[in-house]
Amino acid sequence: MSVGLLVVGAPRSAGADVETLLSMLPAHLPAPVVVVLHRGPHDVLAPPLGRRCALPVVEPDDKDDLVPGRVYLAPGGYHLLVDRGSVALSVEPPEHGCRPAIDALFESAADSYGAAAAGLLFAGHDDGQEGLGLLQARGGRVAVVRGESESGEGQEGEVERLSLADVGGWLTRLAYAARGRVQP
Amino acid sequence: MSAAASAAALEALEADLLLEGVARHWGFDLRSHSRPQLLRRLRRHLREERLESFSALQARVLHDSEALEGLLRALSSTPTSLFADAAFFRDFRARVVPVLRTWPSVRVWHAGCGTGEDTYALAILLHEEGLWGRCRLYASDASEGLLADARTGVLPLPGEDDARRHAESGGRGSLSDYYTRDGNWALLQPKLRDGIFFTQHNLTIDGSFNEFHVILCRDTLLSFNRALHNRVHARLYESLARFGFLCLGRKESLARTPHAAAYEELEGSGHIFRRVT
Repeated sequence: MSVGLLVVGAPRSAGADVETLLSMLPAHLPAPVVVVLHRGPHDVLAPPLGRRCALPVVEPDDKDDLVPGRVYLAPGGYHLLVDRGSVALSVEPPEHGCRPAIDALFESAADSYGAAAAGLLFAGHDDGQEGLGLLQARGGRVAVVRGESESGEGQEGEVERLSLADVGGWLTRLAYAARGRVQP
Repeated sequence: MSAAASAAALEALEADLLLEGVARHWGFDLRSHSRPQLLRRLRRHLREERLESFSALQARVLHDSEALEGLLRALSSTPTSLFADAAFFRDFRARVVPVLRTWPSVRVWHAGCGTGEDTYALAILLHEEGLWGRCRLYASDASEGLLADARTGVLPLPGEDDARRHAESGGRGSLSDYYTRDGNWALLQPKLRDGIFFTQHNLTIDGSFNEFHVILCRDTLLSFNRALHNRVHARLYESLARFGFLCLGRKESLARTPHAAAYEELEGSGHIFRRVT
């Protein structure tokens, strides 16, 4: 797998979908997964999200290493940024009213991993769209998971749009198709 | 290389040149700061200043000390309300205060105080616990501009949320006893303001300036990269008396720092550590 990092962003309303996504991750995933799910400072999220996930789900401390095969969940009250193999938490002001914010994670993934990062955004919030665009511009593989109510092609056009059922296939293609790809 | 990748490489180069210039001309070494955070803050500062590139920012910052102060301010972030992290102050009351009561005098250092919200919250707490008379509270920051704000003792008027967090922290009495209102602003009581020694101190280059019994350094080191973070921890260790307390942010760890073995974490506290050797 040439993908070195998978970043996932989701609004609060997509919490159950994120749990489903985590249950689809293969047990021997060769990349770290970093998740921002919008949350309040006191929500307990790691145990419920980890319930059906084959990988350990942790809320990292600042400057922890990013280890392949683990899921890192942004803690409440902090932005989670990635910095070439490690976690960098930040108390910069909230963005789109959110801390953790999805844009913050995606922007740092674009900076630090570029084309080696893949990004998955669950629709339903403004936060994350700008960061996803930046990640895509830097060559990262990106997709939006649309909500239940939406159907067909989305308005973004250039960004691949998936239903929750398609995500498993997208993850598999990420692991295989990317291998032969010529980097720009 | 794609256009976006080459633009990113150019931006990274300009960022490096800006940081190099600031370090060599002003002595503020930002090169060891956490890179992703630095890039994001610099970009936001650029948008706010309506500048096109880091090169344009560099030209301005090198020739104008006020522009440098603006940059340092943009790079800092401290809580904007009193008792922002009520759980920490509650743990401090429960676990640290009883020990401080047994000591005849206590020197406290708040490293990275920013505009002083947590400093004043701590002063209020120490006053409520009857320890203010025997405590000397030092508060430091690298930025003179932020310190000047902190010294005024003027804060945005605390609202209901602040009063609730103060109560959650175990606060007795009313928060409003500690300030007088002036419109939308609160002027903290002179007895608190005048008892705090605000001093300019740059954790990244300045040495230890005293020995302390309590050091608060919460979420300040998030902005540093791992190497600098560890260097600063060596300095904090030198500045802390044996059996003194080191209070870190809720998600900060001593695990990879050189003196990790010298501390014990107080169980069930929000990352309060005690130096034991």
